[in-house]
Amino acid sequence: MAEVTLTNTRKAYGNVNVIHGVDLDIEDGQFVVLVGPSGCGKSTLLRMVAGLETITGGEISIGGKVVNNLDPKDRDIAMVFQNYALYPHMTVATNMGFSLEHRGGSKSEIAERVHWAAGILGLTPLLDRYPRQLSGGQRQRVAMGRAIVRSPQVFLFDEPLSNLDAKLRVVMRGEIKALHEKLKTTMIYVTHDQIEAMTMADKIVVLNGGRIEQAGTPLELYDRPANQFVAGFIGSPAMNFIPGKIRAEGLVTSDVVIPLPRSAQEHVGQDVVLGVRPEHLVAEESGIATLVTLVEPMGHETQISMMLGQTLIHGLFRERLPLRPGSIFHVRLTTDKLHIFSAADGHRLM
Amino acid sequence: MKTELSPRAKVLVYGTMCVLLIPFVFPTWWMVTSSFKPVSDIFAFPPQLIPRSFDFTTYGQVFTLQPFAKQYWNSAYIAAVVTAGTMGISSMAGYAFARIRFPFANAIFMVVLLGLLIPSEVTIVPLFQLFLKLGMVNTHWPLILVPIFGAPSVFATFVMRQFFISLPVELEEAARVDGLSRFKIFTRIALPLARPALASVAIFTFLHSWNLYLEPIVFLSSADKFTLPQALTQFTDAYGGPMWNIQLAAATLTALPVLIVFIIAQKHFVEGLAHTGLKG
Repeated sequence: MAEVTLTNTRKAYGNVNVIHGVDLDIEDGQFVVLVGPSGCGKSTLLRMVAGLETITGGEISIGGKVVNNLDPKDRDIAMVFQNYALYPHMTVATNMGFSLEHRGGSKSEIAERVHWAAGILGLTPLLDRYPRQLSGGQRQRVAMGRAIVRSPQVFLFDEPLSNLDAKLRVVMRGEIKALHEKLKTTMIYVTHDQIEAMTMADKIVVLNGGRIEQAGTPLELYDRPANQFVAGFIGSPAMNFIPGKIRAEGLVTSDVVIPLPRSAQEHVGQDVVLGVRPEHLVAEESGIATLVTLVEPMGHETQISMMLGQTLIHGLFRERLPLRPGSIFHVRLTTDKLHIFSAADGHRLM
Repeated sequence: MKTELSPRAKVLVYGTMCVLLIPFVFPTWWMVTSSFKPVSDIFAFPPQLIPRSFDFTTYGQVFTLQPFAKQYWNSAYIAAVVTAGTMGISSMAGYAFARIRFPFANAIFMVVLLGLLIPSEVTIVPLFQLFLKLGMVNTHWPLILVPIFGAPSVFATFVMRQFFISLPVELEEAARVDGLSRFKIFTRIALPLARPALASVAIFTFLHSWNLYLEPIVFLSSADKFTLPQALTQFTDAYGGPMWNIQLAAATLTALPVLIVFIIAQKHFVEGLAHTGLKG
C-alpha cells in the first residue's frame, strides 16, 4: 500500500498539451476515481502513473519514491484494462500467475497466490479454462485476479466496466468496492460514468481538458460543486441551469422571478447562472408556474420536463403527479439547495 | 447471416465449381497417371484418363538415373532451413515494424517492400558475382541466403507486420506491467499468438524454396548438389529428349510433399492470407 503524489504533472504530444500541470495527492488505501468526459485526459493520467506513457514534466511518486523514469514493472502497480487484456493462449491460472512467474516466484508460491486470489473472486472452478471460454463478467474477474495476485502497492483501473452490460456493471461495481474494503490497497479508477464515480470513490477527481476541475468526496462534489462544469457533470439527471440577473427580489430570468437566499444579495446586479438539482424542485401551488413538456413516470419517481420562462428544466418528484404535456405546473425551488455560478467564467459564487 | 440455397441454385453452384475444377485437377491427374504409362500411351489420342496398365518401374528408374534421394534431401533440408530462417527473421522484423517506434520506420519499411518489386532475374548476375567472390558457387549457401534475405523474406515480413499490427496493444501493455522485457513480450506473448500468420509464412516460404528453379540452375553445377526442380530437367535420353514417363514420375514425387503440406495446413494458409488483407 502506498500514497501516490502527482506534482505539476504535464503531458504533451508534440505541441499539443493534453495534461496541464496536474497536482494530486492520493492517500494510502484511498479509492480515487478520475472522472470526466471523453478526451479530458483521465486515461492518459492513469497511464502516466502506470508508466505506460512518459511524462513531459513534473513528478509522480508512489510510496514516496519518484517513479518518473521507472518502467511499469518497477513501479509495483497492477493495472486492469478496459478490454481486460487477458493472454488468449494461457489458461486463467497461467494468466493470473504470469507476473509472479516473471518475478521469480516459486511454483508453490505462485499456485498458493493464484488460489488465494481465485478464492476471493470466485474463480476457483475456472482456473483451467481459457479466456475465450469465459463470459464478460468472468473475464473481468480474471483481470482483477491477475492484478491482485501479487499484492501491488497501487491498483489502476482503466474503465474496467465499460464493456459490460448495465446489470453486470452494477454487480461488478459492488465487487470492486468489496475488494477494496478487503484489501485496503490504494486504487485509482478511471471512468466516464459519474454514477460509478459517486458510488465507488472515497475521492473523486473531475477532469476537463487536461486540468482538474475539482477533487473531493462524492458528496462534497455533489453538494458544493466548484464550478458549473462539475455541477453539470456530477449528478443524474444533470443539474438544471437557469441564466439570469440577481435583483433585490431574487433571480430574474425572462419574466420569472426566482426567490434566492438572503446571502445572494451581495451579488445584486450580477449576471449569474442558477443551478438547481432536479430533486430540489418541489410541487407547490404557490410556486412558479411552468409549462410541462414531458412526463416520464419511472414507478418510484416521476421525471417532469418543463419550461421555466425560456429555460427547459427537469424535476424529479416522488409523488405520482397527474400531469400531461401542456399542463401548467407550479414548482418551488428549494432555496437552501440552490447553487449560483458566475455567468462570466462558471465559478461558484455561492 | 447465412441463407439456404434453393436446390436449383445448389445444382448451378456445384456444377459451375465442378467445371472450374477441371483446369486445376486435370494437369495433376495427367501427371500422376502418365507416370505409370509407357511413353507411347502418354500422347495417345484420345487421351487415356486411366492407364491401361500400371508400370511402376518408372519410379525405380527415377532413383537410378539420378542421385534422386540425395536431391530430395537437398531440397528438403534447404527448404527447412530457409523456412526456419525466414520465420525467425520475418517475425522479428515484422514485430519491429509494427510495434517499435523508431525514426523513419515507415519510410524504411517502404524501402524494404521495394525489394518485392525487383525481379530475381535482375539481381541474379550481381548475386552470382558476389557468391563467386565468396567462394560459395556450387554450394547450397546461395539457395539458403538469397531467400532468407531476399524477396520471400520481405513478403513474410509484410505478412507478420500486418498480423502484429492487429494484435491489441493492451496485451503488450499488460505484459509490461507484468514485468516482461520487450524481447520477452515478443517471445511469450506476440509470437505464440502469431501462429496462424507464422503457419502461412512457413507454407509460403517452404513452397517458394521447394519450387526454386532459377537460382539452382545458376549456382549449382554438380548433380549431387541439385535440388528437385533442377533435377527434373535431367531425365533425358541420349539425344537430349525428355523421358516423359520417368520425368512425370519424378514430378509426382516432387509434388507429393507439397500437396501433403498444403492439405494439412490449408486452414492456416487461408487464415494467413486473410491477415495480409490479400486475396488468393
